[in-house]
Amino acid sequence: MEAAPARRVDGYAPLRDYAVIGDGRTVALVARDGSIDWLPLPYLDSATAFAAILDRDRGGSFQLEPDEPYAVERRYLPETNVLETSFRTAGGAVRVTDALTLDGGGLAPFAELQRRVDGLAGRVPLRWRVEPRFGYGGAAVGFGRRLEHPVATAGSDALGLVTFDAGEVEERQSGWNGRFEATAGSSALLALTYAHLEPLVFPARGELDARLEQTNATWRRWARARVYDGPWREQVIRSALALKLLVFAPSGAIAAAATTSLPEEIGGKRNWDYRYSWIRDSAFTIAAFLRLGCAAEAEAYFWWLMHATQLTAPRLHVLYRLDGGIRTPEQELPLDGYRGSRPVNIGNGAAEQLQLDTYGELLQTAWLYAAAGHRIDPDVGRRLAGLADFVCEHWREPDSGIWEVRSDPVHFTQSKMMCAVALDRACALAGRGLVPRRRLDAWRAEAAAARQFVETNCWSEEKRSYVRFAGGDELDASVLLAVLHEYADARDERMRATVDAIARGLASGPFVRRYTGEDGVPGSEGAFLACSFWLVEAFARGGRHDEAAELMAQLLALRNDVGLYSEEIDPASGEFLGNLPQGLTHLALISAAVALAEETG
Amino acid sequence: MSVWGALAGGFAGTLVLTTTLRTANELRLTRIDLPFLLGTALTADRTRAKAAGYVLHFVFGLLFALVYYAIFRAIGHDGWWLGAVFGAVHGLFAATALVNILLPLVHPRMGSPLTRAGTVALLEPPGFLMLNYGLQTPLANLLAHIAYGTIVGGFVSLAG
Repeated sequence: MEAAPARRVDGYAPLRDYAVIGDGRTVALVARDGSIDWLPLPYLDSATAFAAILDRDRGGSFQLEPDEPYAVERRYLPETNVLETSFRTAGGAVRVTDALTLDGGGLAPFAELQRRVDGLAGRVPLRWRVEPRFGYGGAAVGFGRRLEHPVATAGSDALGLVTFDAGEVEERQSGWNGRFEATAGSSALLALTYAHLEPLVFPARGELDARLEQTNATWRRWARARVYDGPWREQVIRSALALKLLVFAPSGAIAAAATTSLPEEIGGKRNWDYRYSWIRDSAFTIAAFLRLGCAAEAEAYFWWLMHATQLTAPRLHVLYRLDGGIRTPEQELPLDGYRGSRPVNIGNGAAEQLQLDTYGELLQTAWLYAAAGHRIDPDVGRRLAGLADFVCEHWREPDSGIWEVRSDPVHFTQSKMMCAVALDRACALAGRGLVPRRRLDAWRAEAAAARQFVETNCWSEEKRSYVRFAGGDELDASVLLAVLHEYADARDERMRATVDAIARGLASGPFVRRYTGEDGVPGSEGAFLACSFWLVEAFARGGRHDEAAELMAQLLALRNDVGLYSEEIDPASGEFLGNLPQGLTHLALISAAVALAEETG
Repeated sequence: MSVWGALAGGFAGTLVLTTTLRTANELRLTRIDLPFLLGTALTADRTRAKAAGYVLHFVFGLLFALVYYAIFRAIGHDGWWLGAVFGAVHGLFAATALVNILLPLVHPRMGSPLTRAGTVALLEPPGFLMLNYGLQTPLANLLAHIAYGTIVGGFVSLAG
């Protein structure tokens, strides 16, 4: 860790400056300058109480920082999702501990954000301000007091502030302000309590302290139960902890990221809501859970997948809400956007696209789940067979592909590869008696036909690579998934050549672009981090261990100060772009580390 | 007029009262949660509190129905309309005195004007007309209690 001043551009912290805390239902983003700029309530996909990351004026935030120049360094308490921010000023040092607390005895509020301020040395004057907003800053907020505690209410939601030794609370300009001085050995506490459809709870100091301790202990226990002991263990476990924050505990679903509309290009229009669960990520997710010994999470996730997809079976939606629902209409919010990046969207219009690769990913997920010894009951088996039948009937159609292009559908190579994988896995599951065998011959025949299509139409002799879509000559990093999902062996001649072509054509240092060519959305984007980790894994599986390890080291150097990644990085500036923390990036990191560990033994 | 009619009415009326308030909850009109308020008087465990709160709420619903029945007997009149009037009075009493003043005094986890620094978490007090739980709370509470009284009065009359 290196102490450095925090900075803001136009009132916005760099995306790289955000750490995440959470309680399994929602998350908060904490900037290096101590401001909590994102907090949806009650759930990760709900409207926000704080959204200054998307509109510094209207979004709302919880600021807490020294009232004089400072340098800052941060870390998570080891093996936890409890954040520790240390501020050092000319006059002293102070440590802020932030957590969304977990169960820990006593009558806990529906949700509770604790900010504990411990004086370490000298004297440090601090100021804080809470601007509670509801409904993405659009709801009318009522301010008042209960038992001397300030409260803010909107409809059936309420926030209360409980403070201990944190100065007088002043209500000013639709917010609460305070100032106090931390001295060596002092300990102040600010707790934001939330009520949804119920009265507020105002906890006592003893209960708050006990709950924070219990929260630490619960995270440590969870992290220590992870079985991975290969290289880069610290980064792998940090990724697992970040993913655990994206797991929606009430249902078992996993969100793609914790935010909406953080831009893929500053000032650009590629701003999407990622607070949904993508079928695309399912195979990576289940593989990561199984490899890290998260059997409970794997089971909950698989059953959530089967429950959610039941409504639309045999057709799959691209993404589902965290509660398993399918309605995700896109809506633009009247917010300025991160550094003016509009539109700010909620909902996701990609949900109803045809993306054929999802069938391969879901059947691969079922295969991995079954291969790990988990039970697949006959009803689920019949539905998996239904998916395979759907693939037989539709794999010849053009689709929108894994990248959800908004241009016209085409025959994407990766989609066809995953159709072959879908049918291969259905055959394998049938071979184990886990899905009905009645159409086994048809599945085999169609799998062979899909492979034939890929090998005939999606390979370019000129490029010496599988290309982005049939008949095209553009490159696409998603075809690396052919190795990861075992469409082909990484040592296969065409796969080796494709890995080379992508490394030459899409990679620049550690940065890998997703594809070349159009996608129907104006503007550009940064380098897609998951693709970089897929390249590591493709190198590793192909026996190119040194190249894999070197690229892995470069990628690990790109993480932020607390070990997190967003979706993309601007290769020129190194700034994070897109939603964060990004589940797919962390899943790809885990997968790449495990692959290298397995290959190098 | 029969006591069994009053008890049946008390059960059905409490069912409707609880459902009405829950619906008002989901419609974002109020944060009132009577089973939660009652149950947390017994335990700090949220799940147990809700379960115990529902049981307590139904017990109170039956007890109030017996009080209605006693008054019907005393005045020699009953019926759904008289029940509705009783329900309105009951609702006003609940909002101004029962939940607003008496419950905080006996509830070990609810703050009252007499509360001093404690060691346990405190529940947000309801305030006059329970307005702390939302501006629509008095209306939702009154309608729910009128429905309760109407049902108790109707059942008593039907069981006559």
